[in-house]
Amino acid sequence: MLAIELIAQGLIQGSIYALVALGLTLVYGLLRILHVAHAALFTLGGYVGVMVCNASGNLAVGFFCAALVSGVGGVVMFRLAYQPLLSQPPYVALIASIGLFIASEEAFRIIFGAQGMSFTNPSLEQQFVLGGGLQFKLAELLVMLSTATIIGVLAWLQSRTRVGIACQATVSDPQMAQSFGISLRQVRDINFFVGSALAGFAGVWVALLNNLVEPTMGSVPSYKALAIIVLGGLGSVPGTLAAALLLGVIEAFGTIYLGDILDRNAIAFAFLIAVLMVRPQGLFARS
Amino acid sequence: MNKQPSGAPLLSVDHVTVRFGGLTAVDGVTFDVHEGDLLGLIGPNGAGKTTLMRAIIGVVQPTEGSVSLGGESLNGLPIHQRIQRGMSLSQQLVKPLRDISMADNVALAAASEKTISPLRALLNVSNAQELAVAQYELQRVGIASMASQRPGIQPLGVLKRLELARALALKPRLLLLDEPLAGLNSQEAHALATTIAEINQQGLTIVLIEHNLGEVMRICQRLVVLDNGKKIGDGEPRTVMADPAVRAAYLGGDALGAAAAQGQPSLETHHA
Amino acid sequence: MPAADPEVQTMNYEISLLTTMAIAVMFALSLNLITGFCGQISLGHATFQGVGAYTAAMLGKAGLPFLATLPMAMVLAGLLGVVVGLASLRVRADFLAITTMGVGFLFVGIVRQQEFLGGELGISSIPDHGLGRVGFMALALVMCIGVAALSMYIKRSWMGRVFNGIAEDEDTMRVLGIDVPRYKLAAFAMGTALAGMSGAFYTYHLNFIGAESFGFVESITVLSMVVFGGIGSVPGVIIAAALLSVLPAWFQVIGDYKLLVYGGLLFLMMRFSPNGMAGLAQHVASTKWFPTGGRS
Repeated sequence: MLAIELIAQGLIQGSIYALVALGLTLVYGLLRILHVAHAALFTLGGYVGVMVCNASGNLAVGFFCAALVSGVGGVVMFRLAYQPLLSQPPYVALIASIGLFIASEEAFRIIFGAQGMSFTNPSLEQQFVLGGGLQFKLAELLVMLSTATIIGVLAWLQSRTRVGIACQATVSDPQMAQSFGISLRQVRDINFFVGSALAGFAGVWVALLNNLVEPTMGSVPSYKALAIIVLGGLGSVPGTLAAALLLGVIEAFGTIYLGDILDRNAIAFAFLIAVLMVRPQGLFARS
Repeated sequence: MNKQPSGAPLLSVDHVTVRFGGLTAVDGVTFDVHEGDLLGLIGPNGAGKTTLMRAIIGVVQPTEGSVSLGGESLNGLPIHQRIQRGMSLSQQLVKPLRDISMADNVALAAASEKTISPLRALLNVSNAQELAVAQYELQRVGIASMASQRPGIQPLGVLKRLELARALALKPRLLLLDEPLAGLNSQEAHALATTIAEINQQGLTIVLIEHNLGEVMRICQRLVVLDNGKKIGDGEPRTVMADPAVRAAYLGGDALGAAAAQGQPSLETHHA
Repeated sequence: MPAADPEVQTMNYEISLLTTMAIAVMFALSLNLITGFCGQISLGHATFQGVGAYTAAMLGKAGLPFLATLPMAMVLAGLLGVVVGLASLRVRADFLAITTMGVGFLFVGIVRQQEFLGGELGISSIPDHGLGRVGFMALALVMCIGVAALSMYIKRSWMGRVFNGIAEDEDTMRVLGIDVPRYKLAAFAMGTALAGMSGAFYTYHLNFIGAESFGFVESITVLSMVVFGGIGSVPGVIIAAALLSVLPAWFQVIGDYKLLVYGGLLFLMMRFSPNGMAGLAQHVASTKWFPTGGRS
């Protein structure tokens, strides 16, 4: 395969990772909680997106509902599970999150069945041919485009608006955030909502790209997302994007050249460990 | 523990400079501490005292210069090895282990020989000896009656003494105290300062950072003054405080320090 | 040995169950050393059980008797544990969990691709251990009790006291002159070696192993057992591991919903008793029978 094809593949996959990882970095950066249950919101978004689109015939409405439902779901998770456990050591929230995650995957399986759900009328399938032998489905192009747009907007919001600056500040200096006139609780709610909505949004994209939603689809992107947030620097939107795209590309090349020795997930984590050995604070960590 | 040949300093800070990025927190500071000294490290806020102490204890590494204990350089050594060489630190933010009693907290420090390696620690179970040492040190600092209590509910004055007892239980050659009187009311501060002086009189070399100049003047035989990272005074307390440069540093800095520097409880302008 | 007699068959089931429990308890106690006593969160502990399991399998198929594979399994798992321990000392404390998770995926990913390790299909037809069903179970129980006894001893020793301090506040421990990195490595070495031992038992119990038996899900399962039992509490971890390891068997009635129950239980326990079952027991004891409050 041409190198450029691999890069393109990597960027597409990286875009998905970026959407999922962003939610995670906003949470981890804020609360130092390994929010494993984030995976469930990704899958939830997929299900909602498919169901709404099948019911209404409108993909955009499906996307919107998925993001909304996942966003709300994230805030609910925060209020139910994490907020009461903030004063406890971090492993408590981690295990609670794991419990939620396992229960959610099972709930999806029980409610929707293990075989999964598909779009009745899959769309965005049209092929686009760009120069150099590159061929994309419209969906693939759009996922990259939308990721770039969303993250660009978020980065802009984070550095230009009071809310955004407050969000960044809560990572390093909670007191200062409060002096912006925004309560800590609001910031946390916003972070969870935005992050979870993004995950739900990503879930619909994956559902579209594979034309399938199934209960366990959230696991692998979330595990990788954990690796990405470490690489990208906690709480840093641009860092997370860069790390996610980089990981996608590394995986694409890695599966071709190292596929005999390592499987896909191992490549991602081998990369992570290699980076951490050389730069223990992460690739894009801010000093 | 070797006694230093008389004249050779116990602690030697030699042209220590600490830079963080563009900021020079400590700039070429040099002074010696001899056995038996009770030395006060003072200066206005932001002068670099805490950074210097951190460089001595090993939390930060000096960008230039060196720190030596008993003639041996400490450069590059991790914190625990410096402690094992005979230093101990009583921290400003007291953080005892909450799940165990105060006596157990001090006993943990007293067990330094047994805990020097995991293997040795594994082979030793009894803590009778260490509890005895803990009792002795808690007595020395005056809180022996509360030994079996947990630290969680204790007032700050008690916690400060616990921290001191813990540092003493390490049987150090040199005791470093980071703002031992901070947060205490004048009565408690006076009492604790007296205790510190008594411990020094029993033979322990002590260096302390402190903002409470009244007590510092009372108990310290020697002062080293920092301002903006540089040493601007070194010597007998009265002489140092009478130095115009020192007065100016305090006048330019915090008001409380300035008042104390002028030896008065209230603020009044004085001509240098 | 063919067991046509139905009574013997029932006994076989119970013996098998007890053996499974003993192995799970061994495994959970080994993690308790690292995470419970020393406070290092490992999300990849199943890797070390896997290393022990694969070592025992390879050596067993090469002709070594089961008992001889035990020490080798422990040594190899312990060595890898030290390597991972050294690596995790380099990274920030919050990255430790993710690094160990990465090690787990790396292990599974590598093993799955190697034909000589059985590849995707795993290793089967492990030779018989020669101890008989009851004998094997007895040995597993004995080793399990041994690990429990070792854990209790460590807790009472100065190593346990230092671990406790490191778990709570490792910076202060450095200021008390403790060589914190060395202690963490000691915890890793011991915990991973014991996990390796449980892996060897696992191999000979099931007669078949595959890489996916030692993945992320298994790592978080054993961590859940430790936390559910009460992190650091030896009796709590024993009970939690014993119960949760045979939960699928007991809950056959609920069958389809068993994982849902498992997940729900974990969540509820953390939400309402973060110190796990040990915490619950303490709470009950201190309020009901000892109104003045007991010492922990």
